[in-house]
Amino acid sequence: MIYSILSSGERTEKLNSLLVGMKGIAGADINIVFFENISAIVCDINRIKLVADQSNAIAYAGVIETLAHHFTLLPVRFGSVMESDAAIIHMLKKNYNDIQQNLLKVENKYEFGLKIFCEPEKLKAELTAKSDANAKTSTSPATEINNSVYRDWVNKKLKEHRFEELLVTYVDSVISKIKGDLDQLKAINKFKKIVTTSMIIDAVFLLDKERKDLLVETVGELQNQHAGLTFVLTGPWPPYNFVDFTVK
Amino acid sequence: MSENKILFNTGSFDGISEEIGKLTSNTEESKLKLTPDNADSGLAKLVLTLVELIRKLVEKQAMRRVDGGSLTDTEIERLGETLMKLELKMEELKKHFNLTDRDLNLNLGPLGDLM
Repeated sequence: MIYSILSSGERTEKLNSLLVGMKGIAGADINIVFFENISAIVCDINRIKLVADQSNAIAYAGVIETLAHHFTLLPVRFGSVMESDAAIIHMLKKNYNDIQQNLLKVENKYEFGLKIFCEPEKLKAELTAKSDANAKTSTSPATEINNSVYRDWVNKKLKEHRFEELLVTYVDSVISKIKGDLDQLKAINKFKKIVTTSMIIDAVFLLDKERKDLLVETVGELQNQHAGLTFVLTGPWPPYNFVDFTVK
Repeated sequence: MSENKILFNTGSFDGISEEIGKLTSNTEESKLKLTPDNADSGLAKLVLTLVELIRKLVEKQAMRRVDGGSLTDTEIERLGETLMKLELKMEELKKHFNLTDRDLNLNLGPLGDLM
């Protein structure tokens, strides 16, 4: 099973010493498969033992996390298995350019996660109140005249639809503000909108290791500007969400 | 997620853990588990999920048109009747196959949930 691919360069001794005594999933020893200046961090594991449960996921993440403190690396998806060291070397050789490009992209960088939570009912009330205030100055569509059960149903759905549109517009405005504020940090970012009713934004950023404190400061300022929301910043993480190539 | 990975948070750690826990449990529920023993209900879940997705898309598009003001009163009335009956029919089918709204979703891995 492959944990990660990393840029070992000339530092093979350092890598070897880090891996001494390190255990992976199911207590398996961690080994290295070298190819030129890159290495795959692997372990021998029986497929039957490779269950995607919490303890295995923690063991897998622990290995990557430890190595990420010392090397630039690309985490490999949990459960990526190859038959032999020769097959791994072949894969590294075939994908060498893509791997190098990705390693260059994440070099000296960490991933950070930002989750933004709201109180759904409170936010709904606020947005609806704002929208109603705006509607008083404009003409309401003729559809809001009630005269049948079907019309009532349409009106109810129309209200829900309008709230969804309001929520998307609001979330977009928060994202736009975050992107604007993070421009100065030169962060690469990815956003997911409205993940659950209370998690309205789930974002990940890739930025230089030394800019961590600036990021925390920026998120603090953003939190001050959005009192009704809860900002949760986590990290630093290995670049789980920024490895961008498909193995050939 | 361990507490030492949190760099900034104005809420409670327990609250966040609970929210993230919900996401994990949703992922488990939204996996399609087809086995020889549950082929019927597994297939019903898959088909109804796709039907529900299409129904919601149609409903969304219809509401956009109603909101846009391009439909006459009669058209809105007919639209309401059709969509309401579709919704009721879906409720019947869900009851028949013992499925809830939470069952009618699919986890698409890195792409997130279908709905």
